Amino acid sequence: MSAEAVVVRHRRYPLRQLAAWLRDLLRHDKVGFLGVLGILFFVGLALFGPIVVPEPGKPDVTKIYQPPSLEHPLGTDYEGRDVLAQVLRGGRSLIVVAVLAALLSTVIAITFGALAAYLGGTVDSLTGLVTDVILTIPQFPLLVVLSAFVKLDRPWLLAVLIGLLSWPTLLRAVRAQVLSLKEREYVEAARALGLSTFHILFREILPNMAPYIVMSFTIGVTSAIYAQVGLYFLGLAPLAGENWGIMLNLAWVRGAIFFKDSVLYILSPILAIALLQLSLVTAARSLEGLFNPRLRES
Amino acid sequence: MSVRRHGSPRTVQVIRRLLRAYALRRVLKAVITVWIVVTATFFLVRLMPGSPVEVYIHTLISQYGFTYDEAANQAAALFAFDPNQPLLVQYLDYLRSLARGDLGQSLVSPGTPVSSILLSYLPWTLFSAGLGLFVSFVSGLFLGMLMAYRRGGLIDHVLTALGSFFQAVPNYLVAIVLIVFLGVQLGWLPVTKMRGAVSPGVQPGLTVAFVADVLYHAALPVLTYVLTTVGSWMLLMKSSTLSTLEEDYVTVARARGLSDGRIMRAYVGRNAVLPLFAQVAIAAGFVVGGSVVIERIFVYEGIGFVLLDAINRRDYPLMQGIFFVITLSVIAANLLADLLYSRLDPRIRRHPAEGDR
Amino acid sequence: MIDVQRPSCQPLLSVRDLVVQYQGASGAVQAVRGVSFDLASDESLALIGESGCGKTTLGLALLGLLPKAARIMGGQILYRTRDGRVVDVVRLSDAELRRFRWQECAMVFQGALNAFNPVLKIWDQVVDTARAHGFRDRTRIREQCERLLRLVQLDPTRVLDSYPHELSGGMRQRVMIALSLLLEPRLVIYDEPTTALDILTQRAIIEVLRSLRQELGFAMVFISHDLPLAAELADRVATMYAGRIVELADVRNLFYRPRHPYTRGLLLAVPPVSGPLTTVVSIPGSPPSLASLPAGCSFAPRCEFATDRCRREEPTLSTVAPGHWSACHHWSAVSLDRWMERLGGASHA
Repeated sequence: MSAEAVVVRHRRYPLRQLAAWLRDLLRHDKVGFLGVLGILFFVGLALFGPIVVPEPGKPDVTKIYQPPSLEHPLGTDYEGRDVLAQVLRGGRSLIVVAVLAALLSTVIAITFGALAAYLGGTVDSLTGLVTDVILTIPQFPLLVVLSAFVKLDRPWLLAVLIGLLSWPTLLRAVRAQVLSLKEREYVEAARALGLSTFHILFREILPNMAPYIVMSFTIGVTSAIYAQVGLYFLGLAPLAGENWGIMLNLAWVRGAIFFKDSVLYILSPILAIALLQLSLVTAARSLEGLFNPRLRES
Repeated sequence: MSVRRHGSPRTVQVIRRLLRAYALRRVLKAVITVWIVVTATFFLVRLMPGSPVEVYIHTLISQYGFTYDEAANQAAALFAFDPNQPLLVQYLDYLRSLARGDLGQSLVSPGTPVSSILLSYLPWTLFSAGLGLFVSFVSGLFLGMLMAYRRGGLIDHVLTALGSFFQAVPNYLVAIVLIVFLGVQLGWLPVTKMRGAVSPGVQPGLTVAFVADVLYHAALPVLTYVLTTVGSWMLLMKSSTLSTLEEDYVTVARARGLSDGRIMRAYVGRNAVLPLFAQVAIAAGFVVGGSVVIERIFVYEGIGFVLLDAINRRDYPLMQGIFFVITLSVIAANLLADLLYSRLDPRIRRHPAEGDR
Repeated sequence: MIDVQRPSCQPLLSVRDLVVQYQGASGAVQAVRGVSFDLASDESLALIGESGCGKTTLGLALLGLLPKAARIMGGQILYRTRDGRVVDVVRLSDAELRRFRWQECAMVFQGALNAFNPVLKIWDQVVDTARAHGFRDRTRIREQCERLLRLVQLDPTRVLDSYPHELSGGMRQRVMIALSLLLEPRLVIYDEPTTALDILTQRAIIEVLRSLRQELGFAMVFISHDLPLAAELADRVATMYAGRIVELADVRNLFYRPRHPYTRGLLLAVPPVSGPLTTVVSIPGSPPSLASLPAGCSFAPRCEFATDRCRREEPTLSTVAPGHWSACHHWSAVSLDRWMERLGGASHA
């Protein structure tokens, strides 16, 4: 099957195309397939978890740090609330913020990467300088310091802050790709036909880079999850609402680690976060493996 | 030759030649990055709504009954700049005192210069993060080469799986799991005793007791850094080695009858390692950045540990100072990697001579 | 087995029924399918064929340098060492093979631009080579190396102190040629030594090789897709097609009286030095995939002489004249002259 055919079918039947891709993945890359399944699972959890699963109950002093039971399969927390319900409901806000952050950084990277490559000159060098600086500043300490100035009580604010700091790697890749694709024949042909720069960018260059962009988006989601959970764990983002980061913080601060019965309380958010990150990274790696031969040169 | 004839200034020529030197360009770039970071943090702290300086002055006025001038003077001493001056003058003052190593005074413990706090905590972070980075880089190189030479084998599969796993899982989760299992549930490690950077009463010096004690306290943070970064070095080195093995010069070296060991070291290893240097900056940023959480988890008294204290107490000058040295150390690690890289790759050190045809 | 040996000479190298197979994901592919030839100790043999005909695999097999996916399935590579023993390269141990390489048989590759380790100076790579074979006297290595570099018209002091990237492609290939002779091997394999170079540099390299051979007298296998280029250096030429030698003859015989349609096709595809370009005719079609060879003669689908017999029965290499072998059922019908006449007649009509 030629690449052309894939693209055409992709446009018409996205779902069928997805199924075909998954079948292909299952055959050639089982680990990557598991990664994609994991992502689908967590997306489902983020969408439906808080709707389907009831709230973890009211604080109840008599039920503190209970071991797993039929009623509470993962035990209870420091104020006697069900852990399983918290785990199932606690993915949404993390995942939503992470996706927003990754989206923002992807948009920034594509826009400015393409602009820098196309315009060249001062714009290019200036973008390069800013990219270099952002890349050298360690992201997490900067977020930590910023949390002292900005109250991170609104999810979108966190998303914007993380998104503003994580675009440099993709920007460089986009710039390099646009520079090299710019020279290729079909883009030259498009230009000869008098098509506008933006038309060339969006219809010719970006579709070519799509796999790489999706991969980098996936990696962006992992680093946004890392930053968020880190901030919650350190208590630098307000502990309002329910998510795995807050669970981790409370379990740590309230000393859940010291009790044999409540080990599952601290392990379950850890496991949830680790599985999510693992799914994202394996999916990203299989994407990279699929498309890297062409991208590695740049 | 044409320099004198056209009378163009020789200094310009000299500068241009110097700029072409790789090492100098790198140093210059590092300095510019430091300058940008310093400038950005200065204006960030100064121009933020509810700037910490303003907040501090107002606290002094409202709580201690200072006049505005007194409060401003006090603030000037603490933040290493005078809030009454025009912004540009303040900025230049700030740069000048920074150049002297003066980062202002701690808000929480007035009279203590930020620089002296940094000096007592920074070495521990640099030591543990540096050691972790070094150990994981070196072992990643060897494991990666091993995987490439035994590709498709059991070792390759096991290491790939482990590497991907630890690369994906956030480092603080690994740290927490280490504490929960090794420390508390199984009780194999005295994690409470391992807290701090040194045991009280151990005399600093190049004695076996001191070095052992330092390593004892740094063991868990270093282990965490190594576990969570060795995977990416391993996988990077594997793919780099695999592509180097395809190179013509490796086949030619075999044709020349060179021993496998010599080929592996000087022909494959040395070339395969070069692309990895580009990643050192990212890894350094990641490890030093992660130290903020890791040091908190293990109660290891480094700069990350203090940063959290500073933030919880809103000690702005200290925060600013810590952020400054964290960035500085990442930039320095980057510069070091760049210079090392240029030592190892002659194509960067020298410029290609003209060909004969 | 037919006798492919040159009558008067004791061969330095004699390859017998060599079969090399690649184990791919989609099954095994034979890249060399029963190749036999002899090479005298002062002789130069050119292996000619389109890319993918197995000539580079053959070259690598001679040095035991095949990639991991490839295996020698059968045959012998008999080499007569300096002390008169005959060894089979296929059966050498790793240590013996390492000694055999470069000291007995050196090879210059087509990827000339990338043949040197970029992070070591040329001199270090020379020393590496010498030490690998137990030569530790640096002054002697230096002398020998400088002599060879001067023979290939390079300035030894400058070259030895350079990194590979500081030399041009032509210079690097000349350094490689000098380095191939460092240990005074008795056989050197040149695998497309001029392919990546511009036309002037190509000429210079050919001249260097010609004079080196006159000066030092070693045997040579010259692998190329370029017939005229090979003809300048070769005493004998072997044409390879789909993993087999299909014709083997003295260079003059092969050029003026080709007895295999494929050789003839290659000759006709060469632009004439003078005369109209219209006489250039390329062979129709493309070389067959080694994974799915046609039954019978593998050249039959592209051959204008092909008959049903060709599609049924694979021809073997057999003597068509003294010192001239061809693997074609219709070798007697193959001739350059007849074709030329026909072409002339057609253009007049």
